[in-house]
Amino acid sequence: MKRTRFLIPSLVAAGFGVPTDALATTPQLSLGNDDPNKATLFDIFKQGHLVTLAEHRSHSSHRSHSSHRSGSGGHYSHTSHTSHRSSTGGSYGGSYTPPAYEAPEPVTPPPPRRILPLRSAQPGEATPPPADALPTLSGRTERFKSIVKRVQIALLAQGYYQGAIDGIVGPGMRAAIRKFQGARDLPVTGTITSEVLDALRVSSE
Amino acid sequence: MIELTLPALAEAPLPFVARLRTRRQDDAHRDDAFLCDEDDAGVTFAGAHGLLAIDGMASAALDGDVVLVQPDGGRVERLLRAGSPHNTLLVTERCDQLCVMCSQPPKKTHIDRFALLEQACLLAEADSVIGISGGEPTLYKGQLLSLIERIVAARPDLAFHVLTNGQHFEAADVARLRNPLFAHVLWGIPLYARDPGLHDLIVGKTGAFARLEQSLAHLVMSGARIELRTVLVQDNLAELPALARYVTTRLRFLHAWSIMQLEHVGFARNRWAQLYVNHSRDFAPIAAALDHAKLHGMPARLFNFPRCTVPEQYRYLAAASISDWKRRYVETCGSCREREACTGFFEWHPDAATAGVHPL
Repeated sequence: MKRTRFLIPSLVAAGFGVPTDALATTPQLSLGNDDPNKATLFDIFKQGHLVTLAEHRSHSSHRSHSSHRSGSGGHYSHTSHTSHRSSTGGSYGGSYTPPAYEAPEPVTPPPPRRILPLRSAQPGEATPPPADALPTLSGRTERFKSIVKRVQIALLAQGYYQGAIDGIVGPGMRAAIRKFQGARDLPVTGTITSEVLDALRVSSE
Repeated sequence: MIELTLPALAEAPLPFVARLRTRRQDDAHRDDAFLCDEDDAGVTFAGAHGLLAIDGMASAALDGDVVLVQPDGGRVERLLRAGSPHNTLLVTERCDQLCVMCSQPPKKTHIDRFALLEQACLLAEADSVIGISGGEPTLYKGQLLSLIERIVAARPDLAFHVLTNGQHFEAADVARLRNPLFAHVLWGIPLYARDPGLHDLIVGKTGAFARLEQSLAHLVMSGARIELRTVLVQDNLAELPALARYVTTRLRFLHAWSIMQLEHVGFARNRWAQLYVNHSRDFAPIAAALDHAKLHGMPARLFNFPRCTVPEQYRYLAAASISDWKRRYVETCGSCREREACTGFFEWHPDAATAGVHPL
């Protein structure tokens, strides 16, 4: 009695009396009650695994296969073979049958599937903590102030600004910029945007 | 070496993110700042946050960069450099491990920059892979996962490589991590030895190995992609074959196993003599580990191993792994045929440890 009950599953496990395509059976596996999505194991493990080692990239463009297709068999170059081995693991079984290719004519290849190369990130690759002493260059202050002054002069000329031409963006200047931006239908930010520079023709170009 | 931080003067009082542009382009974004002035000392951009004057770099080198501007610190951080495959965001400097060779020693304080980093990611170049590092990013697991979910939903062309010590994944995370959005994430997780005691010693935390095994179980239930990372030190060199057996039997679900040479920075700087392995003298344990991995179909690779220092039959596994901004070559590399494919040396690699380097 018991023996017969286990006989059938054992035969199935051994591959007897089962559809030959293994994929046809895997989706029926389920993780059981702890799985809220009722996702199958197959679904979980196949999920968009896009990554391939950089060395295997050539594999995706099935260029090497075209020679197989044309029927000039026996030309497996040794190098391409190693890449097969490393990427497909132990899938070379005795039962492997090459897919039947119907049309030998060149077909427009589908857009290449995106393959993410493994990043070579290191621990500590990220932006390092800021150095304490940055080089003291005065260029930025000069450039900054000279543009602010030109904006101040232009706003003064157009009657939006009454303050000093000092190269400092203070509250009075921010208010002036806002007023100007509103009058010109520009995004009102109260900052010196590229639109403000263009509208005032201050840009260096 | 490429500068990641530049002195800057900004009109805005608070930190902000901007993408620097030398000219207007079709994909204009509200966070774009456009070039308005340039001289020998540097460049000036104008965007929604006002003027931004940066010193020390020409506009052509900055075009397309996504920067984090820190007005009070008087600097910009080049978060995502245009055209670079080595962009990494540092989400925290806190960490709950203290690895002997840590290249970026942790700090106690945490500055929350998640919102700014998220804004930066949305401006990333198409199809880029963004690194996330620390510190330990999963100390802020909730924020981290939300950031990934929101960005991948908005930018399905992006992918992430997250460096994590794997100490914080729980059964409760499995359902969330099963979201197909996380197929865009590769988790880089260090494991230094098969022996729990030795691993714990190297990472400076008792029980770390056991906790890592739990996390790996949760991650495999989530269908996560995992790159295991083993940095070579004197203590684990002889243990490498044992680790290879563990990896190929217990961790078959891994996407890759990276065996990495030491970086002369952070803690490793002062402990160089106790840590550094001259692999060109004793490659046998590494070779045994690589052979075992290959035999079992586990893709293993060598990171930070200059090609001429690796026996010829393993040379193809030596990836050009050192990030562009910290890579250099020594004088003898000038005439080397394999220079382009070679990882080179860390900018801060001690010259004494480059002995024996020869052109191929």
